[in-house]
Order: sequence, then C-alpha cells, then structure tokens
Amino acid sequence: MNQATLSMGNRSPSKPLRRALWQIPALVALAVLLAVGVNHWRADGIALVGDWSEDARFADASGGSMIVSLDRVRELFERDALLFVDARPASQYADGHIQGALNIPWQEVDRYFMEAADRLDGAGADAIVTYCDGESCDLSHELALFLKDMGFENVRVLVNGWTVWKQAGLPTVEG
Amino acid sequence: MRNLEISRSKAAYHAARLFMGGVFLYASFDKILHPAAFAEAVYNYQILPDAAVNLAALTLPWLELLLGICLIAGVWLPGATAISTGLLLVFIAALAYNKMRGLDIHCGCFSTETTEGPAGHWTVLRDVAFLAVSAYLTLYVFFRQKAI
Repeated sequence: MNQATLSMGNRSPSKPLRRALWQIPALVALAVLLAVGVNHWRADGIALVGDWSEDARFADASGGSMIVSLDRVRELFERDALLFVDARPASQYADGHIQGALNIPWQEVDRYFMEAADRLDGAGADAIVTYCDGESCDLSHELALFLKDMGFENVRVLVNGWTVWKQAGLPTVEG
Repeated sequence: MRNLEISRSKAAYHAARLFMGGVFLYASFDKILHPAAFAEAVYNYQILPDAAVNLAALTLPWLELLLGICLIAGVWLPGATAISTGLLLVFIAALAYNKMRGLDIHCGCFSTETTEGPAGHWTVLRDVAFLAVSAYLTLYVFFRQKAI
C-alpha cells in the first residue's frame, strides 16, 4: 500500500463532517447578514427583490420605459419618420442590419459617435430607435441612455430588435 | 523518506489552500463594489427566478470573501472547502447550461465589466481547473488533516 493510501485511510471523516455541518450554514448566514447589512448602509445599494420586468430593465434615468413596440416602429419606418441606430459591433452590422440604420457600436461609442452626430442631428426624425440582438442584450439600452445624455430627444429601444425585425420580414440590407 | 513525502504533501496542500483563497478574494472585490452590475450579470444567466436575483447577487460575493479569508487563514476549513467545491460545481453547471442553449452571456466571474468578454469554453475549463484544486482541498481536509 502506498503512502497516500495509508494517509488517506488513517482518519475517519466524521469529525470534519460534523464541523462542516454547522460551518456551512454559519458561513452562508454570515454572508447573507453582511450582504444585507452593507447593502442597507451603502449609498448605491440595490433592492433586495429587484424589478426585472422588461420596462424596468430598459428604463431611462427617471425610471420611464424606453421600449417601443415593433408595430409603432413599423408605422414610423413606413412614414420615414425614425432613424435606427444599430448598437452591435461593426462586423455584425456589416453582416446585415435594418435598412437605413446607422451603426454606433456601443463598445466603441467614443470613436463612432462624433462621426454619426451630424447625421443624427440632420435626420429630422420623430424618433431615434436603438437596437441590438437578443432578449438580454443591453447594448441598445446603454446607447439609448448615452444619446439621451447627449441631448437627443425621443430616443427609444426596440428590444431584441434585429431578430424581431427580421422575423417580421421587414427590409434589411447587408454591408 | 516518509517525512519528505509528508512535507511535500503538506506544502502542496498549503499552496492549494492559499491559491484558492486568493482566487475567491480576488473574485469577490469587483462584485462587492458594483452590486447593480453584478445583479445584471446574474439576471443574464436566466437561471434564478427574478425575485431571487438581487439577493443572490448581493450574497455570493460576500460568501466568496468569507471563503477566501477562511482558506487563507486556515480556519473553518471543512465548511469552507465544502462550499468552495459546491459553488464551483454550480458555476460550471450554469456556464455549461448556457453554452448548451446558446446564450451568449458575460461570465461575471471576476469582473462585472462587460468588456471582460462573453463566457467561452476557456471560462468553463478554467473553472474545472479550480474545481480540481478545490476538490483536492476538500478531500485533504476531510481525510488527511491530522497529518498537517
């Protein structure tokens, strides 16, 4: 029998097991107490039970929903009264995007925004609608908040925009 | 000869304990500093019910901090190593589950910044390596600690 086997066999785990049985709940309880206590005390604490509804997740600074429905977007698009802004990376935009959309990749917003600012200003659209892809994609929301901060009005988010637009068979372009 | 083997075994154990302690301490800081961003990362895993997201996001980093302290200080090791191994199993299962269903999530493992990049196979492999170290520690604490 080798040394490892000898050593592994020279002790019953019952004592550490008994200790683990009270230490595990004690550590978890301590973590909960610290988490709740510090969260209560700190200035940027969060609600213990959060509102993860779509309207709350895509809210502006004052808590109002920034979401716009596909039907409303389609109506504005047909009247040529909106400007789409694609928040995805340039490579994904090049693979395909909503017809007429500008590209301001959120992760390179500083580089792309100055270039796009004139077109955003000059478009004279009733609404600016940002989009990305995926129910939990937050790029469009971050970009919409940024555009609002930059002074643009009526900025909205089409949630999961690329997918819902394609699924509705509405116009897209590549390149 | 036997003494040499025992001291090597002890050295490996202490190195593993300090390493995992460091990993948990490092993992906890950014999440404790940015609770809202970490809650979003937890939400994006789409595993927990909405009502449990914030409490889990608040508690997990503090649990990691406590584990880090216990492992480095060498106290409450049966509880700390068992939770460490259990947590890593849950992390790997959550990452693998979301990879399987094609959800492109950010790991939120060490940073709440989305610039950390989406979780990939490498993230899962890294956690499997941590799991191996943690499982070794758990076995050592439960079966061999008398020799320390």
